[in-house]
Amino acid sequence: MDRCFLELRIDGEEAYQTFQRVIENVNVIMATYEDPQLGDVQVYPDKGTVAFSAGLHGWAFTLTNFAKMYASRFKVDESKMMERLWGENFFDTATRKWTTKNTGSATCKRGFVQFCYEPIKQIINICMNDQKDKLWAMLGKLKITMKSHEKELMGKALMKRVMQTWLPASDALLEMMIFHLPSPSKAQKYRVDNLYEGPLDDVYANAIRNCDPEGPLMLYVSKMIPASDKGRFFAFGRVFSGKVSTGLKVRIMGPNYVPGEKGDFVKSVQRTVIWMGKKQETVEDVPCGNTVAMVGLDQSISKTATLTNEKEVDAHPIRAMKFSVSPVVRVAVQCKVASDLPKLVEGLKRLAKSDPMVVCYMDESGEHIVSGAGELHLEICLKDLQEDFMGGAEIIKSDPVVPFRETVLERSCRTVMSKSPNKHNRLYMEARPLEEGLSEAIDEGRIGPSDDPKVRSKTLADEFGWDKDLAKKIWCFGPETTGPNMLVDMCKGVQYLNEIKDDVVTGFQVASEEGALADENMRGICFELCDVVLHADAIHRGGGQIIATARRVLYASQLTAKPRLVEPVYLVEIQAPEQALGGIYNALNQRRGHVFEEMQRPGTPLYNIKAYLPVIESFGFSSTLRAATSGQAFPQCVFDHWDMMPSDPLVPGSQAAGYVANIRKRKGLKEQMTPLSEYEDRL
Amino acid sequence: MTQPKVSVSLISSSSSRGRTAPRGEPVSHQPPAMDLELNFEISRTAEFILSRNFTRVALQFPDDLLKHSTKVVTCLRNKLGSGNKVGLFVMADTTFGSCCVDEVGASHIGADCVIHYGHTCLSPTSTLPAFCVFGKASINISCCVEKLSSYFRTNGKPIVVLYGLGYAHAISQIKRALEEAMPKTKMELIFSDVMCSIINPLEDHRNSDGLEGCLGTYSSENSLGSGTRYSLGGLTWDLPEGQRMEDYLLLWIGPENSAFSNAVLTFNGCEIVRYDATEDQLVTDVSQQKRILKRRYYLVERAKDANMVGILVGTLGVADYLHMIHQMKELIMLAGKKAYTLVMGRPNPSKLANFPECDVFIYVSCAQTALLDSKEFLAPVITPFEAMLAFSSGSQWTGTYVLEFRDLINSSQLEVSKRPEEARFSFLKGGYVEDFEPQENGDEDNDSTLALANATEKALQLRDRDPGSLVKRTVKSGAEFFVTRSYHGLETHANTSSPEPYLIGRSGKASGYEDERSEPELRSN
Repeated sequence: MDRCFLELRIDGEEAYQTFQRVIENVNVIMATYEDPQLGDVQVYPDKGTVAFSAGLHGWAFTLTNFAKMYASRFKVDESKMMERLWGENFFDTATRKWTTKNTGSATCKRGFVQFCYEPIKQIINICMNDQKDKLWAMLGKLKITMKSHEKELMGKALMKRVMQTWLPASDALLEMMIFHLPSPSKAQKYRVDNLYEGPLDDVYANAIRNCDPEGPLMLYVSKMIPASDKGRFFAFGRVFSGKVSTGLKVRIMGPNYVPGEKGDFVKSVQRTVIWMGKKQETVEDVPCGNTVAMVGLDQSISKTATLTNEKEVDAHPIRAMKFSVSPVVRVAVQCKVASDLPKLVEGLKRLAKSDPMVVCYMDESGEHIVSGAGELHLEICLKDLQEDFMGGAEIIKSDPVVPFRETVLERSCRTVMSKSPNKHNRLYMEARPLEEGLSEAIDEGRIGPSDDPKVRSKTLADEFGWDKDLAKKIWCFGPETTGPNMLVDMCKGVQYLNEIKDDVVTGFQVASEEGALADENMRGICFELCDVVLHADAIHRGGGQIIATARRVLYASQLTAKPRLVEPVYLVEIQAPEQALGGIYNALNQRRGHVFEEMQRPGTPLYNIKAYLPVIESFGFSSTLRAATSGQAFPQCVFDHWDMMPSDPLVPGSQAAGYVANIRKRKGLKEQMTPLSEYEDRL
Repeated sequence: MTQPKVSVSLISSSSSRGRTAPRGEPVSHQPPAMDLELNFEISRTAEFILSRNFTRVALQFPDDLLKHSTKVVTCLRNKLGSGNKVGLFVMADTTFGSCCVDEVGASHIGADCVIHYGHTCLSPTSTLPAFCVFGKASINISCCVEKLSSYFRTNGKPIVVLYGLGYAHAISQIKRALEEAMPKTKMELIFSDVMCSIINPLEDHRNSDGLEGCLGTYSSENSLGSGTRYSLGGLTWDLPEGQRMEDYLLLWIGPENSAFSNAVLTFNGCEIVRYDATEDQLVTDVSQQKRILKRRYYLVERAKDANMVGILVGTLGVADYLHMIHQMKELIMLAGKKAYTLVMGRPNPSKLANFPECDVFIYVSCAQTALLDSKEFLAPVITPFEAMLAFSSGSQWTGTYVLEFRDLINSSQLEVSKRPEEARFSFLKGGYVEDFEPQENGDEDNDSTLALANATEKALQLRDRDPGSLVKRTVKSGAEFFVTRSYHGLETHANTSSPEPYLIGRSGKASGYEDERSEPELRSN
């Protein structure tokens, strides 16, 4: 709003039209998220669900502020006044009449303009011109008193102060929260469906639904907040049912906890705290419907967790939060002094806790990897790591590294065969790419190992054109039993096949995690087991013979099916004025990026550009872009999808081959790829 | 001169791949008698045998020296004299690494001592005395000294010299030449000594004086008596008081073998240079070995997440190996994991793949064969030291590295350390994980009944909604693992109580039974 008055100096009607358009845009977006359970999510200024604000200057109002003010003057009730302050309602100061159409007379103005926009504009103008006498008179009318030292202020500072006193942003925001956000008891009735992972009719779901203070404790910890004493964290979250009290023993379930398995902890809450702004208040207990910060749980929670009572072993966890970004850039960190390793380990633990996005883990070669959403994010994380979590111990970081995936372009050119070490068993296999969209469906969990086979085969048949019988013969997904690769049994009438299934599956899990090209995960490959020849004696077709053979034949089929690398791609959004567009296009083209949408923002000279940019090319992109556009463009990158690289990694000198060589070197593998002949055997 | 009757028998401990002794060696390959005498230290060996009155002697050859075995036996027989009734036996193809003394093989023929030829780790034996002949690798002393002294001039650090045992014969000359080549004042030079070429079973052979003078322990002038004593792979050396190994530059003379990587891993904080005698060059880049250390660190992390542990018996000779295995079992049990002990000779990927239920294997063997790592292994194979790091809660990787498991026995603290406050953070999963509660023995009855109730509570939950589901879950024991497999072995039909009619089985060999003979495919293999 401040720009309307100070920079753009647009008149009331124009401002109204702009606001109207913004609100319409918001409503269009909101419409896509519409959920019958949630009810109407559209916003209407005349219902008080829109606040007009100047965030920079710290003031805001909703139409209720003004409606209250004028209701008494016009002797109408507040809701009536609210309606008149928005939409097609006009007021003529000469006739003092409301109309629904602009009568055309000079004194006839829209309600919003007449009663909200103009007064604010007036006050701001007076302040900016330092017409203090006039100002005090107006403020008197509005029953606003300023403190004496504030009266000394001049110009912009004065305006800011006056506006903050008159229309404080906090009041507007709080008012909206109080009147328009549903209370927990109301909200949890419909939220439970999305919140709870377990069956929606069990005692825990019901307790959440009813926000039952007497029910079992269900609490979701959403953030770990660093405490004042170094290295400790508050666990901050919301109590959905029951109550949490100081000294209570709680069961902590991590984000991927499956009821009945290990992976849960029992800890006691040392202190329950209510967090109010900057202050904390220690309280005895916190019942459902509130947020709470707890002390003493940080050593068992890495990022988020569900808490329940110690004995409630049947409770399922509350669904983990989803992020719209994913960690696709990583660096290896090591400490400069070898003896600092324990510090590094401790620091990484804390880093993983403090940031909901960052992932700290260790890779095959024993290096500690920190993985984040982008270059900048990682930089901040590493700064935190070194300064806050490791007490300033020096660390060395590697260049940022991007994970790749391995896939295939087409079906294997022939059925490949590998023999077991004792030569008595043979596996025949072919690889082919998964249908388009299937990998994504597996990523999203629409198709997965835990589906009902009937439902799965129906989905596969309907959406991806699979043969119904084939869909029933999926042996497993991988890597990690859930990944976007499949092993399908196409054999007919093979004896003892069920005996080696587990071994082949084990081999598949290993192979799909470490592909033949560069030991990267596979993605979007369907392996078809065509035929199997087994030794008649069980001892000669045990795991020792089959697992390694399965792995070899999987690699062989991958290599014969035109293997390709898949790289992560950012969606880049850039906002820039027209004259910067040339520079943006140049910078993107240099880095294999391409623009797929260019749109002028209505009412502004700015353009919105959306482009795809390979993550590996994005390092240093923002500075290149700044240089190319003399600082007028700033990119926002979000991981969007995986994209196959067209060049063939098996052809020496191609770009993909270069990447493969780099990855292999980094991982300490032989730089030359293992040739097909190592994996494939001949009769 | 009449040749005395030589009883040469070949013992092969691996029945499947018996090797035949190359008796009919072409004459051209035969080293001159003098060389043989020198290389294999025939007279010293004879002296050793005679002085202790051994009557049945096993000669253990590694594969690469096996071709000389007959000549060595002939020479030795000559030396021992015709009147002597010493039985000489040639052993080859040992079950475990050829660097260790194969006591089991020797006891097959009832030998009372073993003469070990070639590279050795000098691991102490448990029952038999052994005499080690290192052999004499050729080295050009003047070239070596030239290379070394020019390097030392650029590097001001004091130096510890270690070497492959094959170069032990040349060390005194190198030392003398080096001291001449360099001004004495500047350089602190410590040469390590060969502990002893005689291994006496179960005896602290640091005190045994052995056959000093024959091979000789090269006494170092720098040893002041009050320093710290280090020993590694048969070498010992002393550092003056107040000095640490990190302050020294480590020089290794010899090829890049397991003994060298052993040294690099153990003294990973030191700067290390290797002099390769065959190539005559100094190698300063040991990044490959450093990479191994990182990789081991990763394997420890992997082991922490393991539920089932296989203990691989990698030696039947090295003293205290049984003690170590028991200690490992105890450690694993205390960590709440399940241990299985497996004896399988030298492990290879396909042997280990027969035990897919094990998440990690601990390989109890001598220091120089301890490091087994390959991508081919489905589960990591770690050393006892690494197992200690992984399974005793609260212990941390500090950078020190111990390969010799005998050093662990003394240093280990097996008390049940108090479980730490903090849950364990798994760097592989990127989050906190729950470890199994250590099995509590002899706690209050009250507690254990409750524990049982808790366990059943969990066990009685719906385990598997759909038997065809492909989800992998964690299992705690081998039995549980087999339950989760999709194939459970032969179906048992409980309904029929009458016995099945008997059928005549197959006969013949596994590679092709008699009824399979007609299949052309099998034959083509």
